[in-house]
Amino acid sequence: MKRGGFLLGALSGLTVVAATDSLFSRALAQTPLPGLPGSERRVFVLVNLQGGNDGLNCVVPFGNPAYYRVRPTLGIPQAQVLQLDSQIGFNPVMKSFKAMYDKGMVAVVQGVGYPDPDHSHFRSTEIWQTAAPGRYGHTGWLGRYLDDAGLPKENLFNGIAVAQVMPEALVAERTDVPAIAGLHGYGLLGDRNRAVRAAYGRLATDENEPYASPYLARVLEIEDHAQRGSETLPALVAGYKTRASYPETPLGRSLALAAQIVGGKTGTRVLYVQHGSFDTHVSQKATQDRLLGEFSDAVKAFYDDLREHGNDRRVLTMTFSEFGRRVAENASAGTDHGEASPLFLVGGGVKGGVYGAYPNLTETHIGNVPFTTDFRSVYATVLERWLGVASAPVLRGSFPSIGALV
Amino acid sequence: MVAAVTHSDVLGLKRPAGELDVSRALMPYRGSWSRREAAHLLRRAGFGGTPGEIARLAAMPFGRAVESVVRFPSTEDLPAPADIYDSRQDVLGLGPGGLRALDPSERRAFFANVRKREVRSMLALRSWWLDRMRKTPAALQEKMTLFFHGHFTTAAIQKGVTPAMAYEQNRLFRSYALGNLRELTRRVSVDPAMLIYLDNARNEKRHPNENYAREMMELFTLGVDQYTEEDVRQAARAWTGWTYNRRLGRAVFVPGRHDDGVKTFLGQTGKFNGDDVVDIVFSRPQCARFIATGLLNFFLYNDPEPQLVEAFAAEIRRHDYDLAPAMATLFASDVFFSGRAYRALVKSPVEFVVGTYRVLGIDRIGVPAQRALAQMGQILFAPPNVAGWPGGENWLTSDTLIARENFVARLVQSEALRPSSWIGEVPMNATQAARTLIATILTGDASPAAASQLGDYLDGAGSEERVRGGAYLTMAMPAYQLA
Repeated sequence: MKRGGFLLGALSGLTVVAATDSLFSRALAQTPLPGLPGSERRVFVLVNLQGGNDGLNCVVPFGNPAYYRVRPTLGIPQAQVLQLDSQIGFNPVMKSFKAMYDKGMVAVVQGVGYPDPDHSHFRSTEIWQTAAPGRYGHTGWLGRYLDDAGLPKENLFNGIAVAQVMPEALVAERTDVPAIAGLHGYGLLGDRNRAVRAAYGRLATDENEPYASPYLARVLEIEDHAQRGSETLPALVAGYKTRASYPETPLGRSLALAAQIVGGKTGTRVLYVQHGSFDTHVSQKATQDRLLGEFSDAVKAFYDDLREHGNDRRVLTMTFSEFGRRVAENASAGTDHGEASPLFLVGGGVKGGVYGAYPNLTETHIGNVPFTTDFRSVYATVLERWLGVASAPVLRGSFPSIGALV
Repeated sequence: MVAAVTHSDVLGLKRPAGELDVSRALMPYRGSWSRREAAHLLRRAGFGGTPGEIARLAAMPFGRAVESVVRFPSTEDLPAPADIYDSRQDVLGLGPGGLRALDPSERRAFFANVRKREVRSMLALRSWWLDRMRKTPAALQEKMTLFFHGHFTTAAIQKGVTPAMAYEQNRLFRSYALGNLRELTRRVSVDPAMLIYLDNARNEKRHPNENYAREMMELFTLGVDQYTEEDVRQAARAWTGWTYNRRLGRAVFVPGRHDDGVKTFLGQTGKFNGDDVVDIVFSRPQCARFIATGLLNFFLYNDPEPQLVEAFAAEIRRHDYDLAPAMATLFASDVFFSGRAYRALVKSPVEFVVGTYRVLGIDRIGVPAQRALAQMGQILFAPPNVAGWPGGENWLTSDTLIARENFVARLVQSEALRPSSWIGEVPMNATQAARTLIATILTGDASPAAASQLGDYLDGAGSEERVRGGAYLTMAMPAYQLA
């Protein structure tokens, strides 16, 4: 099937308008949309299911006989699936998450992807993070949001990656986003002596160096942030306690810190956490079950914690993975890189339910689930209906919202 | 639709300002040769010089100095890692029936123990490599090994890549440090760690696995958009048959699993095997461009101009992918010693840590350094993904900078910093002391204001604090983050 025709067919009823950068220059700064009272207190948490989560064994299309044909060993028996409707249900390890779904806290968006899908982790992750398929963007979609959302410039914590390494989604042109894997370690030891610290502070503001380096300005800026940030962050999140029982896993620890930040005075609008790796080419079941179980329990604890502090309605959480996996399992009881897969919206503003078309397992695109919802439509929905800004300048194009948020 | 991309399109890589004169760029350098240039060469072709090494190199004629770096001495006398855990010995020790004789809880306990010992073994292996970087007389050999580690990425102990495999791959990289890159790529393709990390070990005739074939072209040799999905499938077929035999502990080729049919790959047709695929890829000018971009990004400056990439790629092709002459050209070139390249790279955490031990004359890099490296965002044998470490601005966030400063703070306060090194000789006079610290640690790369503030601080500090606080403050200056 021709790509162009497929695209138009799949998106009938939706119009995708790609636009050039110049149309959406910085002059067209974001303007808060009317009718979103309280949006300035809202927080968006992005959870990256890194490595390519197998959508078909996460949201299982048990009602489709083709599923059991293409997954002779990996297929999850209908009786075990945590059913959402007559067609699909969650992987049996996602019991906590299913309970949240039953309370209307979870929207499942099916078949999310983009045209001309790339099968490389590296490139496809970059596409999701920069929201720029077909071109090479140098900023992340949330970085662009942070740059132009009119947030207080002096605040160092408008966005925080709860991660060791900065994700591209938060790379901004004019906003420094720290990656803070844990509060422990985010503090300078150099103040064993006030004089050292005072001298250090003065050094960091001097740009008159006897060499030119493309990185000098950046080093000076980050040194300043490191000092100010490490002095202020502990106080901003001090005294936070919770009864929520987070799993003792990296994601559990990341989300516990995220909840503490939300509950503090950092003014943070965007948080990013990472979970994985879902790259299950071999013996998929053990790995994916463990990871989905950890995800389910950690997100449950996260919202328990947020609710305990009256923050649950302030926080919208969204998952994404760079791609789903091949429809047919491979010879190693695993699956290879695929295309579209479902994602989840959880918490504040969510209209619980199932959105988008069920995966088509018979008319596949070179063996993969074809996409039916462009991921930028989901981003547009988050930007406009949750963060309260126009989405076109951030996404450099107009994408129709989906109905999953109030 | 999209122009060809290379590593330079990675976010956060910044090209120096100003115009490059490409006609002179790779011509031999004819400018001044002093401690400043010698230290620059030692930072790039290694992990930074000790004060003594910088002085010795600066005292040589320029040509001999470059040659001494590129024609490094044999390192066969350096010790191998003490003990690398190999789980095969424990499997063999299980007795008749092996793993199958164990009940599920015994199996879990067995694997938990294997895992524990592998984690410990990796810690030892990382300490060994860091310490080798610190003390080797062949710094460029280790620097190239680190380059290859980030280029042909493999992570241990993931997916069953054992410490022994990680070490074997590390040795392979070292043995080809300035060798032929085509030959190295052939060897890497069937190296046990790579066979397992990118699934070529599971690639067989009836179920080809495309993972290695794709990443080999995208990340190791050509870059994205230089091949079709069909090329990926055909290349995967060519490598079918290779696998890893756990009993023998080595890579083996199983003819019955190999697809010996005709393949059409990048426009050529034949009964290709994996070596043929490598040869076809290396015959493309784009391959030399891609490699040139990677090397320039790592050794010269980030986001190199297309004309410079083209010129260096031509040099690489002229030497048929032999890296020794190509790298010798680069390290003796006009552009390498130009203001464009000077302090134009952000030090990687490994360069930062190893260089700090070297300049302070502290030996034995241990586990605390590894903890610091993890906080700075670089764990050896565990790159973040198959694309390696992106570098440039990606190293610089407030939290990683805090980790860098705190690493220095701990080190200069520790017993390991002995007054017997040069630092014990820092003059008493505060102004002179500041000048000495800045000259030795930064080859003078500090602003006058910073130097005077350092002097103010040293004035009145006790003798112990003068050394420790002085070193800390000097290393907190911006030049110390830059290579």
